[in-house]
Amino acid sequence: MLGVRALFGIGLLVTSRGGSVLTHTGACARIASNIYSKDLTHRQVCTMANTIKYLGQEEAQHIDEELFNEYSFSVDQLMELAGLSCATAVSKGYPLQSLLKSPPRVLVICGPGNNGGDGLVCARHLKLFGYEPSVLYPKRPSKQLFQNLTTQCEKMDISFLTEMPEADVIDEVYNFVVDAIFGFSFKGAVREPFGDILSQLKKISVPVASVDIPSGWDVENGCPDGIQPDMLISLTAPKKAAHHFKGRYHFLGGRFVPPALEQKYQLNLPQYPGTDCVYQLN
Amino acid sequence: MNHSSNEKEPETIEPLRYLSKSEVATVETELLRDYRFGQQQLIEIWGHACAIAITKAFPLSSLSKKQPTLLVVCGPEQNGSIGLVCARHLRMFEYEPTIFYPKRSPQSLHQDFTVQCEKMDIPFLSYLPTEVQLLNDAYNLVIDAILGPETDHKEVKEPYAGMLVTLKQVKIPIVSVDVPSGWDVDEPAKDGINPEVLISLTAPKKCATGFSGKHFLAGRFLPYDIQKKYELNLPEFPGTECVIEL
Repeated sequence: MLGVRALFGIGLLVTSRGGSVLTHTGACARIASNIYSKDLTHRQVCTMANTIKYLGQEEAQHIDEELFNEYSFSVDQLMELAGLSCATAVSKGYPLQSLLKSPPRVLVICGPGNNGGDGLVCARHLKLFGYEPSVLYPKRPSKQLFQNLTTQCEKMDISFLTEMPEADVIDEVYNFVVDAIFGFSFKGAVREPFGDILSQLKKISVPVASVDIPSGWDVENGCPDGIQPDMLISLTAPKKAAHHFKGRYHFLGGRFVPPALEQKYQLNLPQYPGTDCVYQLN
Repeated sequence: MNHSSNEKEPETIEPLRYLSKSEVATVETELLRDYRFGQQQLIEIWGHACAIAITKAFPLSSLSKKQPTLLVVCGPEQNGSIGLVCARHLRMFEYEPTIFYPKRSPQSLHQDFTVQCEKMDIPFLSYLPTEVQLLNDAYNLVIDAILGPETDHKEVKEPYAGMLVTLKQVKIPIVSVDVPSGWDVDEPAKDGINPEVLISLTAPKKCATGFSGKHFLAGRFLPYDIQKKYELNLPEFPGTECVIEL
């Protein structure tokens, strides 16, 4: 009865682990089946025994670099998946039918880096999900990727604001705010206009959903007098700052971590339900 | 006055449009040139949605073999790259894909997708056995990501012509990505491969009219302007889903 073993035995398989391993009939079947079964059992053991890892800033940066350099992912690929996770998490926390204001307006504030890019992708998907996002994007990087993402939004009839509305206007017009200002690379002082933007966000009463890190927070230690978002969408893995998160919803998104990378950093990621791109951590 | 038992009540007033080969090319050009989507971005969107459609057609629990194995056969162009991304997401969804990718695209854009799969420890076959029983025994299904709407169906070169001959004989289900490989985009092939499931990307193609198997529409990203311009009349995706069964 020929099966996968036979295919392995005939030496048809070549994996990235090296062809030389697969020249022996008996050995390859065992090794090959180990490639898959090991990862699954490992994950089951991990989630039972350990909790998800919270990353430090340097670790987060290393993981990011590895994804792009060793795993050959492109920024636009991962950004698309990250932004989709954000939009999906937001839809779960603030479903269309639950919104108090009509039309279903949402304010998405995008910062000057990759976190802002995630926000642009998120805005586009929110539009496709039936929300009415408006984007505030005061400092735009010159990289082509961000210009393209901006065009994609503009062509979806997503309006771009010219300035940050006052807190009371935000409360009146928008159902919630997506904070995609600063991410895990944030360090040091907040430059304008973001200082002013963050102080407005501290005054609003509609919920804030932060992408990856509540903006203005220290990536590891949090920020007791910073913004206090209602939702946090941690991407790839939560960062240490998330220990200080006190909001209602903590989602994990960015379902693209290769098993080998997860094992290397012992991320102990939970098992996402089905094909969902978000996992609710709390 | 004749009502065949297969006739469905139309859910929308306007019927879903099935695109011709030239329309597909025009839409894609517009997406890249005017809407500034990136090619890797689109391939990621399509591959991800494709994987989700496959989990709907063949949930893990429904697979008959002990391991949830599947074979993803990838051609040299965009359709093949979509297959690679699809394989990667299926791996994330706990399936066990194996890839057969005989002629790799020289473009670095497509090479990245290969590395991403290799680094997910997805095995790559070095050749496709012509003995069909091997495939029937080893895999639960075959994902056909060989040729897409960009290919000229009249000029199917080796090794693809041979591969299609093999695929026509497998007993396990075939899932075709976007267009069944070897089919004319505008017309169903009379003696081509016969997939059980078709996953149309973005919008269905003319050759899918009257497709008798399971038909999914995958990929939820089209700007409303394009949808209106080409009168696509896409159905409403439920909730936040990016796949809908037609």
